[in-house]
Amino acid sequence: MNASAEVRNNVPDEIVIRDLGVTFQDNKGNDVQAITGVNLNIKKGEFVSLLGPSGCGKTTLLRCVADLQEPTDGDIHIEGMTPKEVRLQHKFGFVFQAPVLFDWRTVKKNVELPLEMMYQTKQQRSERADEMLEMVGLTNFANHYPNQLSGGMQQRVNIARALGIQPDILLMDEPFSALDEFTKEKLHEDLLQIWRKTNKTILFVTHNIQEAVFLSDRVCVLSPHPGRLSAIVDKDLPRPRTLEMKETPEFSQLVLKVRNSFEGGSFS
Amino acid sequence: MKKKYLSLTTKKWFQILFWAVIVIAAWEIGATVVAMTKRTPENILPHLYQVLAAAISTKAVSGGMTATQVVFTSASATLLRALGGFAIGASLGFLLALLMKLSGVVEKLIFPYLMLIQLIPVLGLAPIILAITGDINRSRLVIAAILSFYPVAANTLAGFKSVAKEKYDLMYTYAAKKRQLYTKVLIPSAVPYLFTGLKIAAPMAITASILVDTLQGDGGLGCMLSQSLKHAMNIYVFWLIVFFSAFIGIFSTQLISLIEILVSPQKRSASWIGRIAGKEKIYGRDAEKNRTQKEPGAETL
Amino acid sequence: MQRKIGRRKSLAQRLSENKKVQAAATIILPLLLGILIFALWQGQILQAMFHTDTFTLPVPTKIAALMHDNIGKVLVNTRDTVVVALIGLIAGSLLGYGAAILASMFPNLGKGGLSIVGAFASIPVVALAPVMNNWTRSVSSTASTRSTVAKILVVMLIAAADMGLNAYRGLTELKPFAKDLMATYAAPKRMVFLKLQLPNSVPYIFTALKVSVPASIMTAIVSEYFAEYITGVGRQIRENIVLAQYATAWVYITAACIIGLVAYVILMLVQSLVMRRYH
Repeated sequence: MNASAEVRNNVPDEIVIRDLGVTFQDNKGNDVQAITGVNLNIKKGEFVSLLGPSGCGKTTLLRCVADLQEPTDGDIHIEGMTPKEVRLQHKFGFVFQAPVLFDWRTVKKNVELPLEMMYQTKQQRSERADEMLEMVGLTNFANHYPNQLSGGMQQRVNIARALGIQPDILLMDEPFSALDEFTKEKLHEDLLQIWRKTNKTILFVTHNIQEAVFLSDRVCVLSPHPGRLSAIVDKDLPRPRTLEMKETPEFSQLVLKVRNSFEGGSFS
Repeated sequence: MKKKYLSLTTKKWFQILFWAVIVIAAWEIGATVVAMTKRTPENILPHLYQVLAAAISTKAVSGGMTATQVVFTSASATLLRALGGFAIGASLGFLLALLMKLSGVVEKLIFPYLMLIQLIPVLGLAPIILAITGDINRSRLVIAAILSFYPVAANTLAGFKSVAKEKYDLMYTYAAKKRQLYTKVLIPSAVPYLFTGLKIAAPMAITASILVDTLQGDGGLGCMLSQSLKHAMNIYVFWLIVFFSAFIGIFSTQLISLIEILVSPQKRSASWIGRIAGKEKIYGRDAEKNRTQKEPGAETL
Repeated sequence: MQRKIGRRKSLAQRLSENKKVQAAATIILPLLLGILIFALWQGQILQAMFHTDTFTLPVPTKIAALMHDNIGKVLVNTRDTVVVALIGLIAGSLLGYGAAILASMFPNLGKGGLSIVGAFASIPVVALAPVMNNWTRSVSSTASTRSTVAKILVVMLIAAADMGLNAYRGLTELKPFAKDLMATYAAPKRMVFLKLQLPNSVPYIFTALKVSVPASIMTAIVSEYFAEYITGVGRQIRENIVLAQYATAWVYITAACIIGLVAYVILMLVQSLVMRRYH
């Protein structure tokens, strides 16, 4: 366990977030601070969770990294580049909360969508899509339409599509929150397996403490009103993680530790 | 026994048959009543078999053509012109909706006037449009085009606006260009709405074409309609035209629905065509069973 | 240390994000366009664009003056058209709603029945109107009553079809478990209808009216062409054109547009009043 921590310290920072703040104007023109004063460094290949209840700004933070939201204060650098430059270079994979699939395209064509934007040839696209579908276990459904698939399967297509462009960084916005417990557990294992294979940096937003503790290396706890980073909890749970680990006392202690580092109000 | 009856009522063909029988029965009862009380019952409500007889008879009704031939020749003229107006109006409607989506300025400029077109009884303006254009064929095209224009434009615009914000975000994360956004997301999303508009516009274009026929006699359906009404021609031609117009109005809507199913593959799974092709909807549990062993180290749940 | 990010936005972008500018533009831009069209029309440039003359397409001021001079006759015809459209609309809507209630009680067969009614509405008005004329021949001895009844029947059919289909959706497309909720209260069928289905169907009623109000007016106008008795705004348009009195025809066209506009405004007002509870 210490060895892995040492290895981590020698790896360069990939995402550097400095003093980030986002202020919105509500309908009456008042300033609403979604997040303020966030400082966070994320290393290459790390799995980091952003954990908090609704209204704590975790989605806003993720969207700032993805260049979907412009920060009012502070800045973000990803290997020295701004989020916009990284986005234009197709280095992000963004997995939305809802599957956001196109009803009029087959599953395979949905996965090929970002590849079409990158002007890959038909052959390249087809091969890559097949690869991705195999990784999420949906090869047999390549020619089905989204409305023929269950929620969990649609979300897997969502993930396959995000992985298709082979991004360095995977940004996931509560991707499993709409699914039932059994499907969720299955997808947790799948996600960890994909992460082990591909070694990407993953920034994962969730409101589920157990999910955050189970999946990630570090849990960043955010608290609301105003949204801010309250704590960063480093975890020493060994990898690879299995479902049985959820029963161990170490796991429960970590969950408790995370819960207690949350400030202000109840954790819904 | 009751169960069998109930399950029968869910079948679509049974429903159609049931109502067809009721409509025919009501008609025949009405015709019989009328025949007993009126001097010329055919003018008001002829028996259906009488209409059928007139349809298949080979007696020359006008200019050496049988009743059915009269109906069909005049129908082809009317429908062709309706089709022209429909095509023009629908295309212009789609283009305008696209333009309004591309430019907020254009949308603000045009939107109230679009509403206004809906409120103006365009069919009622048929005579004046004829007077302005002077040419009956051109006026027919213009009216059919105006009538087709509004439903297509309004519905297509609604289709563009129905695209969820997440889809825009998704394309943004792919650094998509505007052209890609339109061709890959906005236009495909609007297709179902476009077809709704087309289904409304089609019967209206046909109605417009027939109406213009009545204003100036040159052989269309409407012209034959008013002529047969005034007894310049056999009254059964009138009834045949009425039935034919009704049929065409209903058929045009069904035809467009059929085209929509052919064009939109995702709808096929939900319709009878899908059932024939074997593409059924797959629900959760059955879907899990369909998975093969190729999954990476999965445990069967 | 807080650092502000410099923003460089173009004028166009800033204008498009300013809420007040956008709200103003929604009103000002079409207004400007309307004034432009009016100017083109009055200045007779519009006529030149359509290759016609001021005889066929008179200037607006002339139409207004003529309408003012003949206001009595115009009002009589307008009244006749509005009466037909209104009675047909109300009677047809009630009929349609009743049919929808019946259909909702026998869901399987009812849906098919409503589709048949909807199919009837696809029948071109031009085929329906003469049929109705024939059917009402013995209704009364006066031509005007006969014609009025015939026209109302046609409008009724269209309004019933629109209302029926939409009301059926309103009565049957309930939130999940809503009917189950009423069942746990052991609510009698009448209560389920009054407290659940009827309020649920109100937005759908307005959806239907948005289509059937303009359609009723248009149908009333078109059926006037086929009527025995010469009255109504639509008929007057046709009669005056046949007599080459184009200016008078335009007076009636304006009247028809005003009817449509006023009806729509009334509908919008009623809708905003009734639907306040639904937002």
